[in-house]
Parts: sequence; structure tokens; C-alpha cells
Amino acid sequence: MSAQDKPAAPVIADMQNLRVQFDSKRGKVHAVDGVSFQIRDGEMLGLVGETGCGKSVTGRSFLDLIPQPPATIAGGKVLFRPRVGALCPDCGGDGCAACGGTGSETLDLLKIPAARMREIRGARIAMIFQDPGKALNPTLTIGDQLAEIFLQHRSAALLDEAGITLEDTGWQASALRRMAHEEDNWLDRRMRKWPPLCSGAQRLSKAVADRVAAALAETQIPNPVRVMKAYPHELSGGMRQRVMIAQALACDPDLIIADEPTTALDVTIQARILDLIKTLQRKRRTSVLYISHDLSLVRRVCDRVAVMYAGRIAEIGTVAQVFSNPQHPYTQGLLDAVPRAGTRRGHLASIPGNVPELVNPKPGCRFADRCTHVMPQCTSADPVQTPVADGHQVACFLRHPREDATSPANEVAVS
Amino acid sequence: MIQHPNTDTVPHQKAGDTLLSVRDLCKHYPIRDGILQSTVGQVRAVDGVSFDIRRGETVGLVGESGCGKTTLSHCVAGLTTPTSGSILVDTGRGAPLGQEDQIDKMTRDQYTKYRRNTQMVFQDNFASLNPRELVADCIGRPLRIYNEASGTELTERVVALLEQVGLGRQHLYRYPHQFSGGQRQRISIARALALDPDLIVLDEPTSALDVSVQAQILNLLWELQKERHLAYLFVTHDLSVVRHMADRTVTMYLGKVVETAPTETLFRGSAHPYTQALLAAKPDLDDDPNVPIATLEGVVPDPARPPKGCRFHTRCPVATPACGWEVDDIVRLLEADETMFSELQGVARKSDLEAALTFTSDKDAAALHAAMTSERMPDSMRVATEHLDLKGRTLNVRFRPTEEVELTKRGDGHHAACVHGQ
Amino acid sequence: MAISDNAIPMSARQVRLRRWTEIFRSLMTNPTTALGMIIIFLLLAMAIFAPWLSTPNTPDAYQMPRDWGATRMPPGTPNHPLGTTNQGGDVLYGVIWGSRTSLQMSLIVVSVTVVIGVAIGSIAGIVGGWIDETLMRIVDIFLSIPELIFALAVAAILGPSFTNIILSLCIVFWVKYARIMRAQIILIRQADYVQAARVMGDSRLNIFLRDILPNASTPIAVQATLDMGNIVLVGATLSFIGLSESGIAEWGVLVSEGQAGIASGRWWASTFPGLMIFLWALAFNLVGDGLRDALDPRTEGR
Repeated sequence: MSAQDKPAAPVIADMQNLRVQFDSKRGKVHAVDGVSFQIRDGEMLGLVGETGCGKSVTGRSFLDLIPQPPATIAGGKVLFRPRVGALCPDCGGDGCAACGGTGSETLDLLKIPAARMREIRGARIAMIFQDPGKALNPTLTIGDQLAEIFLQHRSAALLDEAGITLEDTGWQASALRRMAHEEDNWLDRRMRKWPPLCSGAQRLSKAVADRVAAALAETQIPNPVRVMKAYPHELSGGMRQRVMIAQALACDPDLIIADEPTTALDVTIQARILDLIKTLQRKRRTSVLYISHDLSLVRRVCDRVAVMYAGRIAEIGTVAQVFSNPQHPYTQGLLDAVPRAGTRRGHLASIPGNVPELVNPKPGCRFADRCTHVMPQCTSADPVQTPVADGHQVACFLRHPREDATSPANEVAVS
Repeated sequence: MIQHPNTDTVPHQKAGDTLLSVRDLCKHYPIRDGILQSTVGQVRAVDGVSFDIRRGETVGLVGESGCGKTTLSHCVAGLTTPTSGSILVDTGRGAPLGQEDQIDKMTRDQYTKYRRNTQMVFQDNFASLNPRELVADCIGRPLRIYNEASGTELTERVVALLEQVGLGRQHLYRYPHQFSGGQRQRISIARALALDPDLIVLDEPTSALDVSVQAQILNLLWELQKERHLAYLFVTHDLSVVRHMADRTVTMYLGKVVETAPTETLFRGSAHPYTQALLAAKPDLDDDPNVPIATLEGVVPDPARPPKGCRFHTRCPVATPACGWEVDDIVRLLEADETMFSELQGVARKSDLEAALTFTSDKDAAALHAAMTSERMPDSMRVATEHLDLKGRTLNVRFRPTEEVELTKRGDGHHAACVHGQ
Repeated sequence: MAISDNAIPMSARQVRLRRWTEIFRSLMTNPTTALGMIIIFLLLAMAIFAPWLSTPNTPDAYQMPRDWGATRMPPGTPNHPLGTTNQGGDVLYGVIWGSRTSLQMSLIVVSVTVVIGVAIGSIAGIVGGWIDETLMRIVDIFLSIPELIFALAVAAILGPSFTNIILSLCIVFWVKYARIMRAQIILIRQADYVQAARVMGDSRLNIFLRDILPNASTPIAVQATLDMGNIVLVGATLSFIGLSESGIAEWGVLVSEGQAGIASGRWWASTFPGLMIFLWALAFNLVGDGLRDALDPRTEGR
């Protein structure tokens, strides 16, 4: 596993104590309540949990995709260090504590202006959604949709390939620049059909088309040229997901948020998509936050895993640690509930009770009313992430060194 | 460490114990096109399926989307009329099932009894309950339809059913949207139990549920089965669930049964490459994470034009020349390659196995000829090509004739439709 | 979203009552819808209590009383707070009794059109085939003609009278319900709960009555509410043009009869009835919009 072998790959994403609340008729729903984790360069972190645990909201907070009127970001930071971009002001690119050794500038994704977020979205952080049918625009061809990404983020390189340098100032060059930035007006669109503009426009289109075809080919789509001309509804589910992956990888992002990318697919297609994601991830050294409810999948493809319950992280560690030696009663319950080869019928371990309502929750561990090992301090104070082994932490009073009721709430001990 | 889950299952396998038998069932949907909406083809959703369900046993039906398992489950539950083939139901004659037990040849009373005895639980727990019906009315409805009870007696029977599925009297007068997914599925199960059926068809009952809720529902289903001696037709795509719940498993691919066996036999020693591919593709919590997941090449062919012979031969890693190679396979391969396909002018078929493919230019025909004899085509396909002849723009192809691949016996209760190991 | 066990409902009637109160409450929470509800309440009160608010005219309460000694009086005159018309009719009387006629008009037309439209739409949706095609083409033809023009044409053919206006509105306004009902049937019958009812062995009629009709009711109820407002608008327009009897206590007629005086500065005879038409249409439109969210049981209480 790459994360364990490297001495300490730099931390490129650092979520600190994120809190997101939603307005509802019954009050404020604490959907995400103090979630902290780090993603290192080149590693795949799995985020598992059941419905309502807040994993999707957590993933979307990286890209400002949570609509703010019903939701409020009640606190926390989401730090991100893009590989390409400004250098760290403290060390000027050499690497220091402030930038975690990357040498890049650290941004708080919750606080950057919208324009900066637009630059980052798609280029530095990309997202793969669960249902590719719903995430692709049904009125545009695949080629057009992928072209948008390149025009949005790679317009300078495209213009270069089309032969327009920065020094060109003629009206042709300006018109082509407008086209590359998708700011062309109706006159430009008329004029691009006629010489002298048409040759430049054709070169630009070809540059875009080449990149789109290359991106599609990389995801092993058998017939990129035909797929580029097709509409999403003409493709199968597996193909659409490949297109989504191509879209996500188009600009070589540093971080990909994959929200249940294979849930809507058949088992055999799922295997191929997972294989593809893993191969591409290794090849490009992209970090991935893999959100899923399927434990066996996460165990297969991820390096590390965080288990979420009711808006908090219950346990986090490498896949080997969490799956072979689960420390949190919820993780144990979850693993016992999966039907396996040896389980007797009627004896699947099930976790009694229901997920608690997250509206104005009481203090204490959220799992307390369903836990078989519940103790008095579990309901009086919030448990804190406690290290169990190197890289393995659990938020449970069973492992808490100081078993008293005055533990500080929601502070993360980062190892 | 590995126990044998089958020790808990129903041991009796007496003759005459067959509850329902599906024989050569076909369900085809017409494809209509054109202004007059004439039928241009058939989607062969289910194309010749046979298996039995015995009393008190769970038959697992697995396959991916498009294999026909949902259509088949609808036929068994009486929602769809099959195009051909028959469903035989035990009417209590005490003899093995025969002609007079076919559901289209039964008396009206027997047919009503069959419909009462076969109930269904659906995948989408929210959509399978009428949002404007109270739980009491929903579960009590089957009893009302058959005039089994009314008034207070009806309410009490509904409460008894609710308690059987782990809910209670306090849930009687609520609407479906006020419950969680797991609770709604319990309501669906209670509704299915109302008429005390012999067979419940479960169409992916836990696919939409969380793991811990799934565990509760699976445990409940097992309890009910034991108490009431129910038979289940358990349709799912999740192999770990089927391994846990089913006594026997039937694997389907593109409308046909490819393998049927007692569950453990299927999982430990499958005889069909498709089943093996399914098993290899699904990651399990107990397997070695370092072994890469085996992947299956190709895409599922169009169900309106299923491959001849064994339908899986287009994707099978161990296909042989006898697996049913035909002209359509070339067309399928061409469709995947845009440039070659656009140059194809016409396909003159003499039969499924013989045709003349005409291209727009000599070069393209020669290119296909070269491809057909090269490594790009599967080995077995090249061997199966009996005659390959290039004449200018036309390429004549003939394949060796093959037979239909039928289900053959591999062991006790184990049948597979594959040329290997026959 | 697990169930919370406080206040366990113990009977179906209790639950249905609670549902209606919930609907009412969610209607009142939205400010614009609440405003609409209040106006409707006042208008309905005015219509129902008309005989007590304003002594009915004899022998026919719906005929405007003529007080030849007090014609063209402005608002504020004793006995005639809103003034009088050219023929000495009390404008306030016209306003109050006009609400009755409007209520009659809208209730009758909406009831009749909903029944016809739902019936035709149901037949088309359930039977299908060429019957479906034929009925829907008829609906298309009806829909291609603007409602006002159509009603105008029909009323003109039938002859000017209040009853004929109601009749022409009935002929014109049923089509939307047929469309809505047919679309709902096609949508709903694919739902799993309808399949579940079929597996149970329920009769087609019962499935229609218990599964399809109740779940199709929301868009129909919303459209009916909107139509309550618009029918009065169209009906008043027809009366204004002269397709109704003159001299009756109906807002459109009053506007029409009063308009001659506007040039001479006698604004009150047209304005007050006109204002009432506006309020009626506005109120029902406001409530109709808010009704959609309030009626869906899935969004209640969320």
C-alpha cells in the first residue's frame, strides 16, 4: 500500500473539525458534526457509512457543492494544497510545517472566493458522481461536455496549439481567444465559418477534440470518436461512468471525490471500473476520497478508511487495521452484519435500534443508545479520537485513556 | 472456520414436494418502429427457462441487469403473461405436476388459489406502498379483497401481522413516509404474509437498504420461513446475500439459465464461466485484498439479437469453436470499431452462419479479412471459421455449424449450460 | 427518518383529521398563501351570509334593487356606503350578492368540469388504444382554442343569460382535467404499489379507486382551485361583454353597466365590483399555488 510504504507523503487535504447543519422544520439537523481527517498525496481514502451518516455532505464540502440556504457551514476548515499553483508564502516552495512539506500554498476551501473555487473545481479537485446518467447533461454530446472542461481550464495551452501566441494582437487572435474562453459572441460564431478566421477556429477545435479523444481513450473506451458524437442516453451505464471518470481526470487533478461511483452498475462492470480507477490513480498519483457504503469494495481499493456514523468519524486507519482489528463497536457491528460464507442463517449480527435523529442532538457518543458496551461516560461527553496503533484512531470511550466525564469535545489528535 | 449453512435448511426433498415448476418459459416484448408501429423485432427478455421451486426452500435467482430475472419473477407472481412455455403449480392432487397443473389450464378456483398463494415483495420499499394509504389499510387490503375478515377482526389480524415482522400496534395508523426504509420493507413483508401464502417472490428486497438493516430483514425472512414453511424465490444481484439465503441458486444470462445448483456447490465449484466471472468480480470481506479483481471483457449484447449457441460466448474467456460463432459476432465486433463499421455497405445473409459482407472499398474488405485471421479475433472464432473468401469489396464468411448448448447434469442437482466438462 | 413514537394515533379518523390540520397549517405558514386563504374566507363568508349582510331584494334577490330617487350617488351617501349605479342600484348590494353569484358560478362549473374531465381522462388512460387517441385529439382541439374566445363563441351561440354562461364555461373548462388525469394514470400505474395490488389480486376498479385516483388528486385539486378563480374572471368578462342578463347582481354585469359613468367621473359603480373580481381571482390563485406543496403527504410535516 502506497501510503504506508512512503515515509510520510505530504498531506494535500486536511479537513479540520467540519460542521455542517441543515435547516428543517424540526430544527437544525447536525449532518456533519466535527469531522476531521487528512488525505495524503497519492493515497486513496475510503469514507464508509450508512445512509444519513453525512459522508456525501462531507465529500461535497470540498467543492462548495452544498446549497447554502438549507445548509449552513457551522465551523471547521477544509485545507487544500494544490500541486500546481501558488507557492507557500512561508517557505517559498521549499516545504515547511505550514504547508505540510508540499511547498504549495494552503487554501481553506470554505473561505476562498467563488472565482477561485471555479478555477479549482474540475481542474485541481474533481468529482465523480453516483449516477452518471443524472450527472451528464442530456442535451450535449459527450464531446461537447468534455470540451467544456478543457476550454474552461486549459484555454492557454489550447490557444498555443492552435498557433496563437500571447503576442498576437490582431482581431483574429482576439476572436480566437474569446472562443477559447467560451466568451464568443454571435459575430464570432458567424465569422468562424469564413476565412481568415476559419482555419484558426478549426485548429482550435481540433486541439480540443484531440484532448477529448485522448481523455476518453485513457479510460479504455473502445471507440472514442464515436462516443464523442454520442449523447449520454445512447451509452450504457458502464460507458457513462467511464466518461465521468474521463471528465474528472481531464485536467489531471490532485484530488478526486468519488461519491459511490459504482453503486448504479452491475457487478462485472463495477469490477472493471474499480480496476480502472485504481490503475489511473496509481499512474497519475492522484489522491482519491472514495465514498461508499460497500465495505468489501472499500477494502479492495482503498489504502485507508474512515468509518462515519451520525455525522462523526467513529474510526480511521489503514484498511488492514480497520477491517482485521476494528476497535469501534459500530465498525464491529457493521462488519458482523455483512453476510459471509460461514454465517448461519437467521444469525446475521444486526445492530439494534435506529440511527438517531440529528436534530439538536444530546451530548455524548452518538452510538451510545445502540452500543452493547455502553458505559456511563458515553452519554455525558463526546468521545475523542484516540490512537490505537500507528495511524489507527478510534473515537470511543473504551479506548479513551482518561475515562472521566470532563473530556474536551471534538478535538482531533492527529498522528 | 467455515460452517455449513445448509444444515439449517429444510431437509425433505420428497417427490411431490414441488410447489411451482417453470417449464421452457419465454417472455418476448415486441419492438415497434415506424409510423404504423409495426413489430420489427422481439426483445427476448426470458428465452426458455426451466426450474423448480420446492416447498419451504429458497431458490436464489442471480444475474446482472438485462438477464431477465425481474421479468421471470413477474411471470411467476402472475403480473405478466408468458409468451410461451408454462408454469405448473401444485394444486394438491398429491401427484407429480403435469399438464392439468398449468396455470392457463386450471379451473378458475385453482387459479385464484395459486394467485393467493403467491405473493411478492418489491425492491423499492418506498414505491411499493401507496403513499396515501395507512399501514392498517395497506396490510389489511389482501384480507379485504378475499373477504377474509372485516372490522375489529381485521384490525386484530393486521396487528398480529405487524408484530410478526417486528412492528407493533402503534404503527397501524401512519403513512408510509413516516417510516424508515427497513420498516417499510417490513410492512411490505407483512402485507405479503397476510394471505398465508406458500411462495413469496422477493425482488431484490434488501438492495436499497443499509447493511445493518439488511441483516435484520434477512434474519426476519429466515424466521418467517421456518415458522410458516414458506418458499422464497429470491431475486438478487448480490452474491453474498444469495450465498447466505438460498438453498439452490439459478444463474441467468441474457434470458437463459446458465447454471443451477445447490448454493454451496455453485460457490465452491461452479461449472459455468459466467458464474465464475460473477464470483470473481464481487469482492468479499474474507478474500485476499491483494489478489486483483478479475474483470470480464466486452459488453452485454442486445437482448433483441442474442448470440447463437451459448449466449455468453462473445465475452467468455474460455470460448471454444463449438460455442456458437456466427455472422452477428462479426457485426458486433465491427460495431465496436467505428471506422470499419461506417465502411460496411451491406450484409447479405444466407443463414445465421453464412454471409457476404460488402464494403465501400477493396481496402476495407481486405482490412477485415486481415483482422479475421489475426490475433484481434478470439482464437476459437478463427478456428470456427470454416470458409473465408475475399473477392474485391466483398468478404464471404461461413462458420462451422454448432448446436444449441443445453443444460447438462454435472452433479447432484447441478446443471450447467456449457460445452466444457460435458 | 425513523418514526417517533410520541402521540401515537389510535384511529384512522384521528390520523386523517391530523392530516387535514397539517395541510391547513402548512397553507397558513406561507405568507402569500395565508393571505389568499384569508381573502377566500372573507369572500365565502360574504357569500354565505349575504341575506344577513344586506336585505335581499324582492321578489328576486339576484336582481339589483332600483332606487330611482337615489341614482348616481357617490360613496358615502347614507344608505349607500359604496354609492349607487345609473339605475339607482346599491353598489354594496351588488358587491355582496355578486359574491353569491360568483360562488355559484365557480362551484357549479368546477364540480361539473372536474367530474367530466376526470371521467374522460380516466377512460382514455385506462382503456388506451384508439379510444385514447380519439379522446386526446378532441382534447387537443379544445385546448388549441383560447378559453375566453371559446367560451365567448359558445355563449354567443346559446344566447345571453347567466345559465348559458355557466353552460359555456362547463363546455370549455373540462379539458385540462382530462389531460391531467390521463397523464397521472399513465404515470401511476407503473408504480410498484399498483403492481403490488395486482399481485394481491385486486380488481381493476378497486385499484383505480384506491391507488390511482387518490394519488392523482393533487394536480387535479390544484387545478380546480386555480380554476375557481379563473372561472369567475372569464365569466365576468363574458358578462361584461353583454352575454349575460342585464340588471342582475353579478360583478361583471355591474362593471359593464357602470363603465359609461367613468368618463363623467362616476368611478364607483365599476371599480368596486371590479376590485372584487380581482380579489377573488387573486385569492384562489395564491392558494392554488401553495396547495401543491401542502397536499403531498410526503412533504407534510417535514
